[in-house]
Amino acid sequence: MSQLMSRRNFLKVIGVAGGGLVLGISLSDSSSEPFPYSKKQAFQPNAFLQITADNQIHFYLPRVEMGQGTMTGLTTLVAEELEVEVESIQVRHAGVHADYTNPEMGMQGTGGSSSMKVSYYPIRQAAANAREMIRVAAAQQLGAPADQLELRDGQVHWQGKARPYGAFVDIASTLPVPEAILKQPEQFTQIGREIPRLDGLAKATGTAEYGIDVEIPNLYRAALLRCPVIGGKVKQVNSAAAESMPGVKRIVTIFNGVAVVADSYWQARKAVELLQVEWDLPALASHSSESIQRDFVDALENNPGEEASKEGEGADALMSAISVIKADYSVPFLAHAPMEPLNCTVKLEQGSCEIWVGTQIADITQAVAAEFAGIDKDQVKVHTTFLGGGFGRRSNQDNVAEAVSIAKFTGLAIQLVWSREDEIRNGCYRPASMARFQAGVDSNGKIEAWSVKRVGPNIIPYILDEGANMIIPEFLPDSFMGWARKRGYGLFEDWVVDPSSVEGLCDDYDVANKEVRHVTVDPGLRVGFWRSVAHSYSGFFKESFMDEVAHATGQDPVAIRLAHTENNPRLNKVIENAAREANWGHTLAPNRFQGIAAQYAFNTYVAEVAEVSVENGRIIVRRVTCVVDCGRAINPDIVKAQMEGGIIFGMTAALHGNIILKDGAVQQSNFHDYPMVRMNESPEIDVHIIDSHEDPSGVGEPGVPPIAPAIANAVFAATGKRLRQLPLRLG
Amino acid sequence: MKTSLNIKAYIMISFRLNGEVVQTDLAADTPLLWVIRDYFKLKGSKFGCGMGLCGACTMHLDGAPVRTCILPLSTVANSDVTTIEGLGTVDNLHVVQQVWMDNNVAQCGYCQSGQIMSASALLATTPNPSDGEIDAAMSGNICRCGTYPRIKKAIHDAAGLLNNGVVYYTPQSATVGGEK
Repeated sequence: MSQLMSRRNFLKVIGVAGGGLVLGISLSDSSSEPFPYSKKQAFQPNAFLQITADNQIHFYLPRVEMGQGTMTGLTTLVAEELEVEVESIQVRHAGVHADYTNPEMGMQGTGGSSSMKVSYYPIRQAAANAREMIRVAAAQQLGAPADQLELRDGQVHWQGKARPYGAFVDIASTLPVPEAILKQPEQFTQIGREIPRLDGLAKATGTAEYGIDVEIPNLYRAALLRCPVIGGKVKQVNSAAAESMPGVKRIVTIFNGVAVVADSYWQARKAVELLQVEWDLPALASHSSESIQRDFVDALENNPGEEASKEGEGADALMSAISVIKADYSVPFLAHAPMEPLNCTVKLEQGSCEIWVGTQIADITQAVAAEFAGIDKDQVKVHTTFLGGGFGRRSNQDNVAEAVSIAKFTGLAIQLVWSREDEIRNGCYRPASMARFQAGVDSNGKIEAWSVKRVGPNIIPYILDEGANMIIPEFLPDSFMGWARKRGYGLFEDWVVDPSSVEGLCDDYDVANKEVRHVTVDPGLRVGFWRSVAHSYSGFFKESFMDEVAHATGQDPVAIRLAHTENNPRLNKVIENAAREANWGHTLAPNRFQGIAAQYAFNTYVAEVAEVSVENGRIIVRRVTCVVDCGRAINPDIVKAQMEGGIIFGMTAALHGNIILKDGAVQQSNFHDYPMVRMNESPEIDVHIIDSHEDPSGVGEPGVPPIAPAIANAVFAATGKRLRQLPLRLG
Repeated sequence: MKTSLNIKAYIMISFRLNGEVVQTDLAADTPLLWVIRDYFKLKGSKFGCGMGLCGACTMHLDGAPVRTCILPLSTVANSDVTTIEGLGTVDNLHVVQQVWMDNNVAQCGYCQSGQIMSASALLATTPNPSDGEIDAAMSGNICRCGTYPRIKKAIHDAAGLLNNGVVYYTPQSATVGGEK
């Protein structure tokens, strides 16, 4: 996820459009709500930590675990400052509460590779404060000077005796919360270590619970038939055949389709296949991939667009360049394909609602559930489970809206389970994009002008719809919300460039004159945050183009990047190191060729060298060398795993991913026509982490952007063919 | 004269599930995955695609790896079905599960039950698999998080241990996350 608009920015933006909005609204929620897990006889100095009288230590995890390692990483921060062994802490996903807000997002969300970055100081502070309160409580209870007490391994040590923290919770609970001094990095005993993942045992034994695994009493399962074109509405239903299928309990029409509720999922699925539905098609139905492509090209050629950013003389500087290199690139829509298909479990009775779901943004889940149930948010309890893959898809709440609607209309506790076909065809897709790059170079091959125009849809209008009632203060009337939601689509046509459409297109290199322009072309296919967001295409575009500039000016691809990052030392270093580790410029094994790419994304610097063979028109990625600078590596093994994972995720986009629309309907449906990289295509991957003492940045997404261009650049080295489109195709 | 008689013919299908004889009267064409998950409430085997393409549903049928999302219940009558729950438990891990943890293989973890069932089946027939044999045996299991390099290393580690006669580990205590 990109830097989402905070509440503040959003109100500023719509204030502009609406001719002035009431200011002076308090934008911070009151934190006077009780913590979700308060227990008697437990010490709970903040929303995150609880120590019971029998010395159990509970950590309520504010950033969800979807594989990227927050459960282990954030708990390590707690363990370090609280002076307990990390394995002794019991970790649960937190419920909805204002104190769990992600300050970068203005909501209780996980994404944007932000979790460690935004938690590094606050979580440590919460744990250090708790530690100091235990110390003061122990000093009081023992009649000992506080500075003679040693707190270690969950015990207070004094005069040869060790007493558990739990012995002091009663007094600790009466003390004011201090602002404790945090440890210095030299004192770290757990941060920086390769602590084994805390969820490893559960995930190796099949005992980790995902949303799809939830069981509650009297639970029915639902399957939902939706229009083949996203956004279509039910016109007419013939459910006679479905009704007579075994196990079928109810059949209901909701806002976007017809649901069959049955005793078991298989029964619901078999019955839903027998529904006959006529649909009112949305405007999207008049668009196909070919027509969208034509619209993109037309915009690229003929529409000057809006200015997104400009430095120096911008594109005007092209006119004074010795030579101009120009190239157009394009990428398709992509589905997320998390291995766990979307699902949601709902118990809705007597005006109160419980939801079990793997969600990236629990407070928006709560708000959407409340809206579709027709009840107050306070009546909605959200249980976040493990996520079987998020990648941004689980920040959307369409599955929640559907499940709550089905529960509401049937009066039953239901678990809505999406099929793989449902997931591929009802995505919040990575936006298709096209871009024109132009670089003006001087006689020494130095780039003096860098101009980019990106064409495609914007994400923010689609999430405004879901997020609106989170972002807008509650006391504003519903009609205002309706206006703001509708306005969202118009806002980004002509006024403001959605930052999540253009990030990463121009920042990395030292060029005096830069300009990025944007043309919104949106056929109406729902789009959303896909792992690394705009970087997922700006990396491919920018790093392929940099390679083209290198070859056009007779420069080595590594050398040109080093020459243009002299003012960007951390990017310069990862490029230099990646080249060295990959033996760039040396003779490789036969039929092996290298390509390099680098990207700064989400405050993290990554360079990758792909070593590739081309055989019979097939691209085989043999090895990837990756260098990452993410600041202080809290758990180096998790950093490496995220780079490995990001590379393989990005490889699927590089080699396979292609969502095709025909008359508005997504043509792909399952892994036979939307293939994924598998074990037999997986390269060897070497990850090197820069030893840095900067504050930690993120690693969930930054591994993704460089891999497609690194491969494409290697393919050029191998074949002389420049591929400017994803997925990469030879011949 | 019309009478309405509701005679239901219950066909019980019996098989051994993780060593225990069980039976069910679910429809004979119900995919085994849904029998195990929804009827026997064993949630370790996962639903990923419904077409036998992703491997998340992998179990052992008489020791051989099978994609149970497309395997009708009737085909397992009188056979041995082993799920991830039967391969090893928190207190009695299979060596494949232990090396999975040692290598921090799992990320989101959703595919890993299927991966482990495929890997353990491979090692049962091929005690010292080459990279090519691992690719062939494991390419039916998709991992969207990209844990393939670690899976491959873990399988090599497990092969080494198994060849030295190690089968079961007693695990260190560990925290199980997630809310019930």
